[in-house]
Amino acid sequence: MPHVRFTYLLGFAVLAAFLAASAVHAHHGWAWATDEEFEITGVIQSVRLGNPHGEVTIDVDGEEWVVEVGQPWRNDRVGLSAEMLIQGREITVHGHRSAKEGERLIKAERVVINEEDYDLYPGRTS
Amino acid sequence: MIEQALVSVENLAFVSALRNSTYMYPLVNAGHILGISMLVGGIVPLDLRLLGLWRHYPVMVFVDVLRVTSAIGLGFAVVCGVLLFATAAVDYAASLLFQAKMALVLLGVSNALILGRVLKRQDIRSFPMKAPMPFSLRAGAALSLVAWLSALLLGRLLGYF
Repeated sequence: MPHVRFTYLLGFAVLAAFLAASAVHAHHGWAWATDEEFEITGVIQSVRLGNPHGEVTIDVDGEEWVVEVGQPWRNDRVGLSAEMLIQGREITVHGHRSAKEGERLIKAERVVINEEDYDLYPGRTS
Repeated sequence: MIEQALVSVENLAFVSALRNSTYMYPLVNAGHILGISMLVGGIVPLDLRLLGLWRHYPVMVFVDVLRVTSAIGLGFAVVCGVLLFATAAVDYAASLLFQAKMALVLLGVSNALILGRVLKRQDIRSFPMKAPMPFSLRAGAALSLVAWLSALLLGRLLGYF
């Protein structure tokens, strides 16, 4: 039954592809970031808020870093709005850095603007 | 020009509302997944039957039922997918993963349309019960499996790169 054998082969190929894909680093949640608390201060360059989560690009001594802030409800809850994240404003970010070496990406737990705390994850120490 | 059009899509009032929504965005996301699960959940057994599995069940049962559920699933996936695309149109349009995924979806749809015509022309309905499918149909079914599963894979990878 050459057809059936071909079908099984195809099935295995598909399964292998999915297993390979599941090894890809998960981006949501915290698994992709290091466990170490991280802090960085920079100047806001650009902002894109919204689903699935907001992104703030900051300049740190000439280097661009991307800060992941919360999804809309999480940002709204602490009053972190686009009006606050104005280009040129200084921002300090507490959170976790990407575990990928050399990647300048942080997931924020808490940000500080004008000495005011915006704690996106009150349940987490930051 | 295109970039301007994409920016104005992102700025449409209902698109902005969706981008900043608490419940609508995950709901549309769920609708997209529902569509994909109906589409792939139908197309996989249908293609496997055409390839030669389950030959003691009439092929037309698979064709008549699963073609409809898959098409409805595709409809859901496209409608919800267009909405998700609109919330970040510029970024998606520039993504190679997204472009490749769209190419695969187009390939899958055209392949399905051609397969439908071949099914008709070859008069599969009058085939004896356990007859193997003609080569053109088996080739189309294999291409269909590869196209749709790859499109699903690329779609998922989009969220991570």
